[in-house]
Amino acid sequence: MFRGELFLEAVGPIAGAAIVTAELTVAAGLIGLAAGALAAMAQIGGGWGGALAGRVYVSLMRGTPLYVQLLVVYFGLAFAGLSSQAFLAAALAIGLNSGAYCAEILRAGILAIPPGQIEAAQAIGMGRLRIWQRVVLPQAFIASLPPLTAELTIVLKSTPLASVVAVTEITYTGVLIQSRNYSAIEVFAVVALAYIAMAQVLLRGSRALERRFRPFRA
Amino acid sequence: MHDTFEVFVEYGPLLLEGLYETVLLTLAGALCAFMAAMVLHAAAASPWRPLRAVVRLYTELILGLPILVLLYCIYFAGPGFGLRLSAVASGLLTLTLYYSPYMAEAIRAAVAAIPSGQIEAGQTVGMGPFAVARRIVLPQAGALALPALVGLLIGLAKDTAILSIVSVKELSYMTKQVVSRSFMPFEVWAGVALIYWVCLSTLDLAMRRLERHLTRHRRLAP
Repeated sequence: MFRGELFLEAVGPIAGAAIVTAELTVAAGLIGLAAGALAAMAQIGGGWGGALAGRVYVSLMRGTPLYVQLLVVYFGLAFAGLSSQAFLAAALAIGLNSGAYCAEILRAGILAIPPGQIEAAQAIGMGRLRIWQRVVLPQAFIASLPPLTAELTIVLKSTPLASVVAVTEITYTGVLIQSRNYSAIEVFAVVALAYIAMAQVLLRGSRALERRFRPFRA
Repeated sequence: MHDTFEVFVEYGPLLLEGLYETVLLTLAGALCAFMAAMVLHAAAASPWRPLRAVVRLYTELILGLPILVLLYCIYFAGPGFGLRLSAVASGLLTLTLYYSPYMAEAIRAAVAAIPSGQIEAGQTVGMGPFAVARRIVLPQAGALALPALVGLLIGLAKDTAILSIVSVKELSYMTKQVVSRSFMPFEVWAGVALIYWVCLSTLDLAMRRLERHLTRHRRLAP
């Protein structure tokens, strides 16, 4: 029932597709971190307009399926004249979705900073942007590192949705191979192993990152 | 804008049918996953070591596997193992297999948060294991586990959209039908996103009120 040669045949193409999955994870992760930082800053230091915008963004992203968000972004890009930008659409949709969760994580990290530090920065004449950049964000980022890396694992686990708009990442490659030679069992075994291996790499990497930044933690 | 409105009027009944299916799938999926989670929770505390190892392995496997890949494994690779399921059954099995370990973890954390002295006190006054579970553990653990379980319920409701990929006829599937007839993909998907948002926000709000209701004794205490 399990044909070893079909299993081995699938390893090469799926290893190649793993690079696309890795690129998508990194791109979406970075977009998510940037969007999350902006939303958290807007909610805390953006007046009532910023707070409202930040809350609407988080609510919309958390209150709709990522699958639907991806299609809205994909067809939205096409609507704006950028048709067939599957990778861009997937990175944007997964990134903006993750950004809502990053915003909640970073907000907690920002609110945990002692107000005395900000007052001290003001007292020595730092401007608002400089305080964000030098005092608040670096510390909030380091304090939030464990939940942020957990969020990156969720991003990795969201990337198979990109197969819906035909990004040739791991899952889509697997679907294509198995539709060609009816090797669903063997191919999806490789696909599942690929994700488990990548999640492990991410886990090890994030532990190393946390160790690296531990000396800077308050 | 006017055209979009007309599309939603014309295909409203079709979308409503899909929404009904989404609600049913969410309820059935949550119920099955919760029951499976209870079984996992009991098995994880089993005195028999191999059973505990199996539960651990299963949990690790699910935590590393994307839900779409799990769905494909069941739907495409299942028949190779003699598992021929309809789209709806594959979808429900996916939701159950995927969400039960997370729910089991929420249950475990809530039960572990109950001071063991309370359980020992119950035993001391002569309560049996069922009386302890019903009168001491459940009322408190239920309220403790609720926030995490609600988060998972909303996640599960959102993930029903993925089942449209194997043509379960829920809201997202019906949306694809509407798109293929109206040729307005962006407007229709954006409108459907709004429908999901209203429904899920309402669910979230209702669950938060339930949570407040269940934990009212904590606020009433002096």
